Amino acid sequence: MTRIIGPAAGLLILALLAGAVLSFDVYDAPSRTLATSLVLGAALGFVMQRSRFCFLCNLRDFHLRRDASGLIAILVALAVGAAGYLAVFGAWMPVVAADRLPPTAHVGPVSPALVIGALAFGFGMSVSGSCLSGHLYRLGEGSTMSIAALVGAFLGFGAGFYTWNALYLADLARGPSIWLPHHVGYAGFAALTAAGLGLIAWFVLGRAKAPAPAEPAPPLEALLVRRWPPAVAGALVGIIATLAYFRVSPLGVTAELGSLARTAASDAGILPQTLYGLDGLRGCIALVKTALLSPNGVFVGALVAGSLASALIAGQFKPVRPNLRRTAEIFLGGILMGWGAMIALGCTVGVLLSGIHAGALAGWVFLFVTVAGAYLGFAAMARFGKPA
Amino acid sequence: MFRKTLLAVAGAIALIASPVLAQDGPLVTAEWVKDNLNNPKVRLLEVSVDPGVYERGHVPGAVNIRWHSDLVDTVKRDIVGKDQFQKFLREAGIGPDTTIVLYGDNNNWFAAWGAWIFETYGLGNRTKLLDGGRKVWEAKGLPLDTQVPAYRPTDLTLADANPKTRARLTDVLAVAEKKADAKLVDIRSPAEYEGKIIAPENVKELAVRAGHVPGAVNFPWGQAVNADGTFKSKDELKKVFAALGIDGSKPVIVYCRIGERSSHTWFAISKILGYDVRNYDGSWTEYGNSVGVPVINLAGTVWQGK
Repeated sequence: MTRIIGPAAGLLILALLAGAVLSFDVYDAPSRTLATSLVLGAALGFVMQRSRFCFLCNLRDFHLRRDASGLIAILVALAVGAAGYLAVFGAWMPVVAADRLPPTAHVGPVSPALVIGALAFGFGMSVSGSCLSGHLYRLGEGSTMSIAALVGAFLGFGAGFYTWNALYLADLARGPSIWLPHHVGYAGFAALTAAGLGLIAWFVLGRAKAPAPAEPAPPLEALLVRRWPPAVAGALVGIIATLAYFRVSPLGVTAELGSLARTAASDAGILPQTLYGLDGLRGCIALVKTALLSPNGVFVGALVAGSLASALIAGQFKPVRPNLRRTAEIFLGGILMGWGAMIALGCTVGVLLSGIHAGALAGWVFLFVTVAGAYLGFAAMARFGKPA
Repeated sequence: MFRKTLLAVAGAIALIASPVLAQDGPLVTAEWVKDNLNNPKVRLLEVSVDPGVYERGHVPGAVNIRWHSDLVDTVKRDIVGKDQFQKFLREAGIGPDTTIVLYGDNNNWFAAWGAWIFETYGLGNRTKLLDGGRKVWEAKGLPLDTQVPAYRPTDLTLADANPKTRARLTDVLAVAEKKADAKLVDIRSPAEYEGKIIAPENVKELAVRAGHVPGAVNFPWGQAVNADGTFKSKDELKKVFAALGIDGSKPVIVYCRIGERSSHTWFAISKILGYDVRNYDGSWTEYGNSVGVPVINLAGTVWQGK
C-alpha cells in the first residue's frame, strides 16, 4: 500500500508545482521571474535529493570513508557552472571592462569577515551535520530536526546584523571584490578554474578508496530510487546554476532567510536601521521585506517541495523522531551558520558555488576556509559529540 | 474609390520606403519600435537602474546606458559632463541624424531623466521616449535579446550644456521669495509634500527638513499617466495641468526628491505640452537641507523630534 501512496503523493506534489508555475501571469515580468524561480528551485531540490548533493555530507563521506564520489559531484558542478557563466558573460559583457563587474553575479569582497564567516560556517555545518542547503533538501526527506537548523540560522542572521556595523567600522568587513577576469581575462579565468578544480580532484582521487560496487539496478530504479552518479548530479547542478544566473539571479539559499530575519528584527526594533556598506547595494542579501513572494523565497520553498516529491517517489521520505541532544547540536550549528553566512555575505551555495562560478576570488577563499572549519568541527565532534 | 486606391498606393510606398518610418512627436509606441528594430537611423537606449535587467533581456539592438555612471557625474553631484557623454554617444553609434529612443524600468523615470539630459545637450528634437517603457514592451510579449550590440563609432559633436533646461537652487529660491515669477510643481507624494514624511520608505537620501517650497503645487507624477504607464493624451494633460494653474503662460519649475521622477513630469510639460519648463535636479535633497531657505511644513513635524 505505502509503495503506491508515496509515489502518488510525490507525483501530486510535482503536479501542484506545475500548476503553480502555470498560474503566474506571463505578461508580467516579475511574475515570470517567480515562475522561473519556482521551476529552478524544484529542479535543484529534486537533483539534490536524487544525488545526495550536500556539501558537508560529501566532505564527511570523504573524511570518514575515503569515498570521493560526492566531492567529485561538487567539483563537476563547479566546473560546469563556471563554463556556463562564461557563456553568459560572453553575451552580456563581451569585453571585460576594467571598471565594471558582471551584473548581479556574486563577486563579494575578500575581507577578514569573509574568512571569519566561512570558518564559523564550516564549523557550524560540521556540528549541525549539514550546510543550510543540505538541511533544506533533507527537510523534504522528513528530517524534522533540520527545522532546528533553520531556526538557529534565523537567529544567527540576527546576531550577524548586530555585529556587522562594528566589523564594518573596524575595517574588517571591507575588502576588494576581486573578479578573476579583471586580472587574467576570460581565457585565464577558464584556465585557472580548470587548474584549481583539477588539482583538488587529483588530491581527492589520490586518497580515495573505490566504493563497494553496487548491484546493477533496472533503469526505472536507477532513475528514481538509486543515487545518481556524481558526474551526472554535478553537471545538472552546474546547468541549473547557469540557468538561474541567466534568468533570475545566481543560486543562493540564504537571501530569503536573511530578509525574514532582518524584517523581524526591524519590526521588533532591536536592530540598527542601517547596515553600513550593505544598504547601498541593490539586491543585497538582507533587504527588509517589501513583497510577500520574493524570487528567493519561492526558490527555497520549491527546493524543499522538489526534494519532498523526489523522496516520496523514491520511498526515501522517512520522518525522524527528534532527539534532544542531536536537535541541540543542529540548532547550535545553525546559529553559527547563520552568523557566518551573514558575515561572509552568503554560504556554500551563494559564495562558494555561485562565487567560483562567477570567477570571484571570494568563492575560492570560502571553499578552503570553510573546509578547514568543517575539519575543526569533525575533530570537535569526535571529541565531545556523538558522530551523526 | 480613387482616393482609397491612392491612399493604398501611398501606404505601400511608405512601407517600401521604410526603414525610415516617421512618428511625429516626442513619444513612440511599442509597435513603432517593433517596426523600426532594423532601422539603422534609429538607436534604442535602455536606461534601467535595477542591475541585470538590461542584461537578462532588452529590446533587440538596444544599448545599455547606466543612470548611475553614464548620465550623472559619479564624483560630484551634477549631470554627466559633456566630454564623457559625447564619448558614450559616439561609441553607441549615434550620428548626426540618428533618432534616439529611450526606455527603461521603474516607470520610465530614469529614461525620462535621460531625455532631459539629451535635451540639455541639444539632442532633444530627435530624442523620443518609448511610451510606457519596458513594462509596456513586456506586457505585449514582444521579443527581448541578451546580446550586447556593437555599433560603428561616430564623430558626433555635442553642444555645450544648455542651462535653460535646468533650474538651480537660486532660481527656486527666487520664486519662493517672490523675486521671480514661475510656477513650482512638487511631484512627490502628498505625504512628502505636506511634511508628514521626509522621504519614502526604504530611501536613504534624506533631507533634514520636511515640507515643500513655498508656492509649489503638489502634482504626484502618476497623475500624468494611464493605468498601463503610458502618458495621458495631450488634451488630457492640458486639462490636468490647467486645473493647477499651469497653462504655458508662465515658466514652470518641477522638482521631486532627487530630480528623477520630476524628469518624467518635465517631459510631459515640456515635450508633450510644449510649455517652458525647467527641471530642478537638486530637488528636495538640496532644498530641504539648505540653511535659511523658506519652507512650508503643513504637518508641523519636527526633525528627529519625538
